[in-house]
Amino acid sequence: MPTFSELTSLTWASFAEKPVLETGATVFAFLVATRIARLGGNHPLLNPTLLAIILISLGLEATRIPYETYLHGADVIHFMLGPAVVLLAVPLFRQRAVIRASARLIAVGLAVGMPVGILSAVGIAWALGAGPQTILSLAPKSVTAGIAVGISEQIGGLQTLTIVLVIMTGITGAVLGPIIARLARIEDQRIVGLAMGIASHGIGTARALQIGETAGAFSGLAMGLNGILTAIVLPLVCGFLGFAR
Amino acid sequence: MLEQIARVLCWLCVGEIAARSGLLPLPAPVTGLILLYAELAFRGKLPEDLGVLADRLLQFLGMLFVPAGVGVIAHLHVLKTEALPILAAIVGGTAITLFVTMVVANLLSVAMAKRRGQVPAKLEGAVSDANL
Repeated sequence: MPTFSELTSLTWASFAEKPVLETGATVFAFLVATRIARLGGNHPLLNPTLLAIILISLGLEATRIPYETYLHGADVIHFMLGPAVVLLAVPLFRQRAVIRASARLIAVGLAVGMPVGILSAVGIAWALGAGPQTILSLAPKSVTAGIAVGISEQIGGLQTLTIVLVIMTGITGAVLGPIIARLARIEDQRIVGLAMGIASHGIGTARALQIGETAGAFSGLAMGLNGILTAIVLPLVCGFLGFAR
Repeated sequence: MLEQIARVLCWLCVGEIAARSGLLPLPAPVTGLILLYAELAFRGKLPEDLGVLADRLLQFLGMLFVPAGVGVIAHLHVLKTEALPILAAIVGGTAITLFVTMVVANLLSVAMAKRRGQVPAKLEGAVSDANL
């Protein structure tokens, strides 16, 4: 006769093999997180992504399901990220007239935001004594996860660490974006979206879409262009510095 | 609707092939995004179903990051040893990036509006901030 704890752990172990538990739990956690955020008047600190991550983490801790098992089960949701990024073409296309009219603004935003994003993070980490591998993993932090992993590998960072840092940056940008916009007294949705997309990729874009379709479109565009630009520039700069050293 | 799902997966697939074959150094979804945009620009109009699909999926874009985000717990030990530089770089770096990008873009926007002879009143505050 198995004890209660043995029984429950057995049940969890077999149930966790089916993606329905992880997928269902993720959707449910995000639903709960969205409700909490709405109750709090959609305050930036009540970021649904952050809340859902905390809920799931606590759930995994309580049920002792390993992260790898969870990720395997929640792969369906993880997979949807690819089509979702492709579909960002739709808000871009809807805003094509506005974007064409703001071409110079977007170009300047990227020319400033991309190097500032990399240099500020690398500079602060270096000044506070982070190791070289951490610094290299940190360099593509503002780029959407799919691109950032590739860059991290190219320049000698840790891919797994980069994923985590990218998400932390995304949440930070999603939380700070509207606050800094308010502090800087900027109401122009184009500018807020542009900065949030450059600084905090898809998570920032998800938040920018809540502000409005214009902010979402600019954020998505900035995220895409910043990703492409960083993927081209960062390995080149690192290679140059590597040779110089 | 099925046609639109096929369209999105098709461009994603082309992006995947381009990435895997080493043709393009870009991640598959970014190539897919560019190709879908190019197709829409070529057609000149957005299929209604595609708009609905995008609206539905992008509505919970934030949820799609949850599985990867939970990875934070798997890396807690790595993060703990260099917690201060990492947190300072992420929070400080992101705040600086947001602020500088917003202020510079806003300065340009105001300068361009001025040249056109129209100064949006709500943007003036940000200009004086930037001059501090």
